[in-house]
Amino acid sequence: MLRLDGVRLVHGAGTPTEVVALDHVDLEIPAGQFVTVVGSNGAGKSSLVNVVAGVYRPTRGRVLLGGRDVTRLAVHARAGAVARVFDDPLAGTAPDLSLADNLALAAARGRRRRLSPAVTPGRRAGMREDLAVLGLGLEHRLADPVTLLSAGQRQSVTMLMAGLRKPKLLLLDEHLAALDPRTRARVLDLTLQMHERLGCASMMITHSMRHAIEVGDRLLVMSRGRVIYDVAGPAKTALTPSDLVDIVSGLGDAPSDRQLLAG
Amino acid sequence: MRFLVTDTLIAGLPLLPVVMGIYLVVRIRQDFDLTVDGSFTLGGAITAVLLNHGLGVPLAMLVAVAGAAVAGLVTTGLHLAFRIPVILAGLVMSIGMTTLNLRVLGRPSISLDSGRTLFGGLIGLAPEVQDWLTIAILAAFAAVFLAVVGYLLLTEVGLALRATGVNPRMARAQGVDDRRSLALCLALANSSAGLSGALTVQSQGFSDSSTGTGTLLAGVGAVMLGELIARPGGASRVGRVIAAVVAGTLLYRLILVGALRAGLQATDLSGITALTLVAAVALNRYLPEIGRALGRVGAGGRFGSRAVALDGPRTAAVASGRSVADDGPTVPPARQPAAAGRAAASATMKEAG
Repeated sequence: MLRLDGVRLVHGAGTPTEVVALDHVDLEIPAGQFVTVVGSNGAGKSSLVNVVAGVYRPTRGRVLLGGRDVTRLAVHARAGAVARVFDDPLAGTAPDLSLADNLALAAARGRRRRLSPAVTPGRRAGMREDLAVLGLGLEHRLADPVTLLSAGQRQSVTMLMAGLRKPKLLLLDEHLAALDPRTRARVLDLTLQMHERLGCASMMITHSMRHAIEVGDRLLVMSRGRVIYDVAGPAKTALTPSDLVDIVSGLGDAPSDRQLLAG
Repeated sequence: MRFLVTDTLIAGLPLLPVVMGIYLVVRIRQDFDLTVDGSFTLGGAITAVLLNHGLGVPLAMLVAVAGAAVAGLVTTGLHLAFRIPVILAGLVMSIGMTTLNLRVLGRPSISLDSGRTLFGGLIGLAPEVQDWLTIAILAAFAAVFLAVVGYLLLTEVGLALRATGVNPRMARAQGVDDRRSLALCLALANSSAGLSGALTVQSQGFSDSSTGTGTLLAGVGAVMLGELIARPGGASRVGRVIAAVVAGTLLYRLILVGALRAGLQATDLSGITALTLVAAVALNRYLPEIGRALGRVGAGGRFGSRAVALDGPRTAAVASGRSVADDGPTVPPARQPAAAGRAAASATMKEAG
């Protein structure tokens, strides 16, 4: 579903501060596969996400989504295929707008927006049903601006928004990092349900070694802009968090305190 | 007293479109577009010249609105092509358009043949009847315009526009084309300035190359006054936004007309505008706190609790950064300086690049 062909990304090329963020990444994620990605800070995880989402255009190489070359498409132009959940739980929703408006915005992702009312009574009923599934009581708060919701609630709403239009790829950029343990477990649950229901490819960046091992079908370790470790199936489940920390750190990048704590 | 009301309405109603347009840019896009100063004059100038050349009122006004919309699109083009901030692009445009407007007019000021204007049919009526019919015509224009813009904001296209102002990164991730949204916003704002200009010159009977000077600032003042009264508190309540625009525009004009009636000179009006703006900013900033203080004194007084509740989303709207998650409502964070918004804006520009 997602394919990267020899993707290279250089920031500030030709300047003294030149940084190679991605160094020849080849990657193929089939539909239905859930991939977790770990790596220390500066390993290229965010660059990978941003190249896939269209924020950065790769210096070299191609990005394909569902067989279509999207390398040169801007973020909004490929949004129909990619649903992204940000690390900042407040980033995925528009704070000033009501819950209904936010959901309506996501319901039109990837299709032409029309000059017809965005929120209709019929759509409101559908939104209430969708929100009821979250079990947070949000179905009664459609008219509230989302600023009134907690970070956990907002991240849950963002997850819901990601699934409103069937994406080809669910891009999860450390989306659990800023949540407390209980909320984290709930949003992770929601993530897995969503992945099952949508049947899309999913890529989850995480700093939690435990999540990286326990969640999903396949695990990637990144270091210095390359994928240095790619494991799936029994070999993946057999890993322990400390094995993984060794792999992450064994190639020269020291794991951050946060990763050790998360282990 | 009677003149106070009619003067306020006759001077204020033509400005409703442009203040609505300025609201779209300033509050919904969170940007400043000085082009409206030039577009207001351009709308008036085109109307005056075309009417004097014998064109019909509808056609003349249509061309005026279209011309002003083009000015907005040129500003958008400057911003996108050269990556200069909208405020700078607008400044360049407003200066450039001074010359353009003088060229259109041919000389600094021309008077309209009053028989050919929108209000031509009222000639010969009693002055008072004339005043109220003028007001009725202006009110009809304003009502239709505000209804159209209000509807537009509620559509999917309008929702996308509102979202790009609050959270551009999220809007892009939801498939909204930021550039197109900006173009729509500036075209809309400037065409509304053109419409206001067209209405103004017809009601005052002359077109001047400086008609539009200070429009943006006056509009911002009106928007702030309106927010004091109607407290839209978020871009989801379109009805409240329109109420704020109407209330703010009329109150702003009332202050100016009142100042003139009180014996001040026309040359003093710039000073009054500045003072009104400062007062509106100060009240917007401190009214909730005064309300809270009153609420404490009055043991949970109604006004106090209302002010607090309404201030919540407003301050929290600028919230960013991570807060510890819990399932209760978020605590509105402390007020953030406007710099936070700027930083966010420059960050999005980088991301777009």
